[in-house]
Amino acid sequence: MAYPKHILISLFIILVGIAPSSESQSSRPNLEGMWSDPPATAVGTFCSFACTDAGIERINALLDDPANDSRPFRELQEEARSYEREFIRGRLTSESLKTYPVDQAQNPSFLRCEPPGLAQQMFMPHQFEIRWRGNDRVEFRYGEWDARRTIYLDGRKSPSKQPTLFGHSVGRWDGEALVVETSGIAAGIAGWPQLLAFSAEHSNQLRIVERYTRSKDGKTLLLTATVEDPWSLREPLVLKKIWRWAPESKIAPYKDCQIPTEFSKGTNRP
Amino acid sequence: MSFSRLVALLLLPLVLWVATASAHHSFAPVYDAKRTITVEGIVTQFRFVNPHAMMFMDVTDKEGKVVKWVVEFDGNLNLSEKGWTADSIKAHERVTVTGNPTHTNSPKMFFVRLVRPDGTELLREDRQRSNAIEEERRQRALQRNR
Repeated sequence: MAYPKHILISLFIILVGIAPSSESQSSRPNLEGMWSDPPATAVGTFCSFACTDAGIERINALLDDPANDSRPFRELQEEARSYEREFIRGRLTSESLKTYPVDQAQNPSFLRCEPPGLAQQMFMPHQFEIRWRGNDRVEFRYGEWDARRTIYLDGRKSPSKQPTLFGHSVGRWDGEALVVETSGIAAGIAGWPQLLAFSAEHSNQLRIVERYTRSKDGKTLLLTATVEDPWSLREPLVLKKIWRWAPESKIAPYKDCQIPTEFSKGTNRP
Repeated sequence: MSFSRLVALLLLPLVLWVATASAHHSFAPVYDAKRTITVEGIVTQFRFVNPHAMMFMDVTDKEGKVVKWVVEFDGNLNLSEKGWTADSIKAHERVTVTGNPTHTNSPKMFFVRLVRPDGTELLREDRQRSNAIEEERRQRALQRNR
């Protein structure tokens, strides 16, 4: 049976148009692949571990002030970091402030070469690889410690009631953002206000909501993480981090950590 | 072979990117960021590994005694992003190295700069990043003054 050509074309358009799964899939940005150090910009560098909007505003204000044109960038960066530290410090509870800043020499990663918990790991610098593993999960792999975590996309509950280093993560799409919600994280050291040098402790009530979005030009990946922990934070804290697209980058083995034989305590204490 | 140990109480104009990069492996409990030291010697081994690359070298002191020095670097993950490879430093080459000493002044330092006899050097600083940021600052100043 022969059909007029325009009817066949119309039918094709209708069939393509009503294919919801393929359309929604294609409208999502592809986050998969290798990301690494931030773009070589002032704000990118400032946010190479994690930063806040308050810190970004501060570094931009310093850069826009003609009086700072002859000052080295490292000075401006440290000034903005100092401002940001105080901003975050003001949001720590009295319980958390008792041990703030955590002595670097007390950090199990340093003392015993133990991998850090999620609240530090997610802000580590360098490679960050995203890979889809079937339809129901995504794997995040970090260069530092060659750490891996699984994000479940089917909403499954945690199989364990015991908190773990990385907790239990479930993910979903919200428009163009991949949203990951994590709870069940064991108490430990947080990556804020600044990774290790001025870090605070957190409890196992910590809950993190991560939003990953890819820039329009595809060259950068932005993380906006909202962290909540009634034990250590008076209010939710929003942290940001940025990576650049780095398909050429590779994660090298991470197996030569050496337990320190000499170190001093309290080097980051006031 | 000469030996120089210049414990210069320089408030070292350390580099922007590196200063942050050192923060994630607990640099501070071991090394003194406010001082630098320089030694000259022969490389015996360079290990391009994680979390920190390591260089071992023989340094002859004023009395002619060979002292085994250890130079710690950022890790393979970091250095490879700046173009370093396992062959960036070779055994048997003579080098002059500047770095941050330990708090206890043991024969160990954290790498800042390496210079070879032919003048070529390796830096901890990410020059490309520094240059890009300085160019961005120039552009910001130009736009501001328009």
